[in-house]
Amino acid sequence: MKRKLFFVLAFFWLNAFLWAQLGFAQAQLTSPTTAEIFKQFSEQVVKIEVVESGSGAKASVGSGFFATERGQIVTNYHVVSKLIHSPDRYRIDIVAASGQMGQAAVLAFDVIYDLAVLRIDRSVKGFLKFETTPVAQGTRLYSLGHPQDLGLTIVEGTYNGLLQHSLYPKVHFTGSLNPGMSGGPTVTHAGKVVGINVATEGEQISFLVPAARALSLLEKTANIEKPSTANFLAEVGRQIQANQARYLDGMFSNTTPSVTLGPYSLPTKPADFFRCWADALRRKELPYVVISHDCSTDDYIFVSSEQSSGIVRFYHQLLSTEELNPARFFTLYSSQVQAGNVALFGNEEEVTPFRCLTRNLQTQGGKLKGVLCARQYVKLPGLYDAVFRGATLGARNVGLVTTLSLSGVSFENIQTLTRRYGEAIRWRR
Amino acid sequence: MAPLGYIEVLDNKGDVVERTRIDSFPIRVGRAYSNDVVINDPYVCPEHVTIELDDQGSLIARDLNSVNGLWLGSGGKKPVPKLELRSGSQFRIGHTLLRYRSFDHPLAPTLRDRENSASLFGSPHIAAFAGVMVLSLLCLESFLGSVERVTTAGIISEPLVTFATLFLWAGLWTLAGRVILSRFYFFEHVTIASLAIVAFFAINAVAEWVEFLFPFIPALWVAGIFGAGVILAGLVFGHLRFASMMRRRSRIWAASSVSAALIGISFISDYANRSKFSNVMEFTGIVKPLDAAWVPTISVDRFIETSQKLKSDLERLAQKSKPTEP
Repeated sequence: MKRKLFFVLAFFWLNAFLWAQLGFAQAQLTSPTTAEIFKQFSEQVVKIEVVESGSGAKASVGSGFFATERGQIVTNYHVVSKLIHSPDRYRIDIVAASGQMGQAAVLAFDVIYDLAVLRIDRSVKGFLKFETTPVAQGTRLYSLGHPQDLGLTIVEGTYNGLLQHSLYPKVHFTGSLNPGMSGGPTVTHAGKVVGINVATEGEQISFLVPAARALSLLEKTANIEKPSTANFLAEVGRQIQANQARYLDGMFSNTTPSVTLGPYSLPTKPADFFRCWADALRRKELPYVVISHDCSTDDYIFVSSEQSSGIVRFYHQLLSTEELNPARFFTLYSSQVQAGNVALFGNEEEVTPFRCLTRNLQTQGGKLKGVLCARQYVKLPGLYDAVFRGATLGARNVGLVTTLSLSGVSFENIQTLTRRYGEAIRWRR
Repeated sequence: MAPLGYIEVLDNKGDVVERTRIDSFPIRVGRAYSNDVVINDPYVCPEHVTIELDDQGSLIARDLNSVNGLWLGSGGKKPVPKLELRSGSQFRIGHTLLRYRSFDHPLAPTLRDRENSASLFGSPHIAAFAGVMVLSLLCLESFLGSVERVTTAGIISEPLVTFATLFLWAGLWTLAGRVILSRFYFFEHVTIASLAIVAFFAINAVAEWVEFLFPFIPALWVAGIFGAGVILAGLVFGHLRFASMMRRRSRIWAASSVSAALIGISFISDYANRSKFSNVMEFTGIVKPLDAAWVPTISVDRFIETSQKLKSDLERLAQKSKPTEP
């Protein structure tokens, strides 16, 4: 075993050596070096500081880049979200390689794709252009930004295409993005922007917002001089509302595939952008078995550091026993129905407390105990978080607890999805 | 009518502290030892009042120019120079309340001693039965409440603590009874405490089933506040019966005050918790092993319709927590 491992390692090492040689040779022939790219484009990349106006202290730091000669800066929505939520409490300072450049105003933002366009009141020397032609997988890319506020940094990586099962198109960039680089550009060796740094899952798995989205947001801002900050929150709400139909339409309808757990037939993976996992708790010392099936959207929309929207998660837990008598089994079952009744996020400024409705329901499939809990977003009218939980009734030694949780959706959608979800739970005869 | 009788010194609750028999009139009342009725009160003059029969045969108390005067027993704004006494009349000199009662003053009927009336509560058999019932209920609860493999010792050990507490509780009440009544009522107290625990189990079980079958009734909440209040009232009422000399009416008063206090405190803390922000979804997820045919249900459509109320509740909450512009 040890021997084998050694060979594998040796092979890798050798391989890496060859590749490095090859890479070096190619770079010499066709492309500028990383150092040259850094030198050429670092002037166009800025640090964006969101400053608390009262104390003058930095609240968050991100990156951005000039996209027009008129001082328009592209960055992420999440970099400047504090200002969008409380325009009177924060301001945005722009710091370029050459020093302070003054304050910037937010011209427009796209909550769904996590983009924002800012503007400073001065013309700039240079700006970055967008890559409009398709890029081949494996193309070398260079990401610029201010990781952890450590100073402007360049990171090499490769283009790995658009994510396959993502609700919102994202470029899969294999390279190490770090907090603070958000909003910075990732460019080709020619300095054309392929995407905007937005997220990382660690271990070199990083994501970029495709350049096309930024380009279309930029076009919208062409005629805006100075937008009123008063409508920012309403605009956040409007964009989230408008986006719902995209992913909720048809969810849990008749075409949704089903999975069989014990005597029940249940919805699973309603769309490509869901990921489902299954697991079982089956231990010798426990007189019961829990089989679980969990589906969730990969993507979410960052609304504020305390709020996100667009997450749909549902999970089924099948409890069964051969050993416990019905009274004891139902003690377990009741506690499972009650379990996990605490939301992870939420504070008084953003959301109301939960209110719940409990009833025994007759669905097409059978009888359910149904609980619907919801809370409203305080600052974004018309948006809610909701949890629907159903527990099948009637059996003596088997029970199913199923939970659907939605974040940042309208009440009408909560009602529609709860209805469809409740009816999608079937008993197999 | 023979006016002879007793002059009684009363304490401030109206109980007799001492009494002096009057065999002839007139008599003198004061601090001096030469008086017929000697009063130990520094606010009373050596010779304070004389009590004598007048021409019509009425009994008259007359002030002997005392420093602090003669007062009506029921108060009055000014001292009086003289006062007619009938059997039962009260009057005050200095800080001392006095009462005159004639020999033929009517008496209340004789009270029956409770010790002699056979009480069902007092039977050791009943107490033992109640105790065993509580222990079995506790064990049953411990068994049904566990969802892991359990041993007999494991099931019994937990209820034993509660069971021992029950005896300690009954013992404390017995001690109180021993001090106040000089009587030993241990079995009675055990029975009463056991009954309270059984009632608690019963109310809780009923509430769980009601909440399961009719989820729109907040049965557990009602049981938690009012059920507990009623049980506590019964407990206090019962224990006081065997630990004090309080009359039935006073015991009802004491019991209802204690339970009203408990209900009040529960309400206040419930309200405080309700108005505090939290991320917890408050619902009771009780399910019971009952054939589905017996469970009353509503349609999903009706459920969705009802959820509209949830929406308006949230709307109201959102309005309340909207930041006010400075």
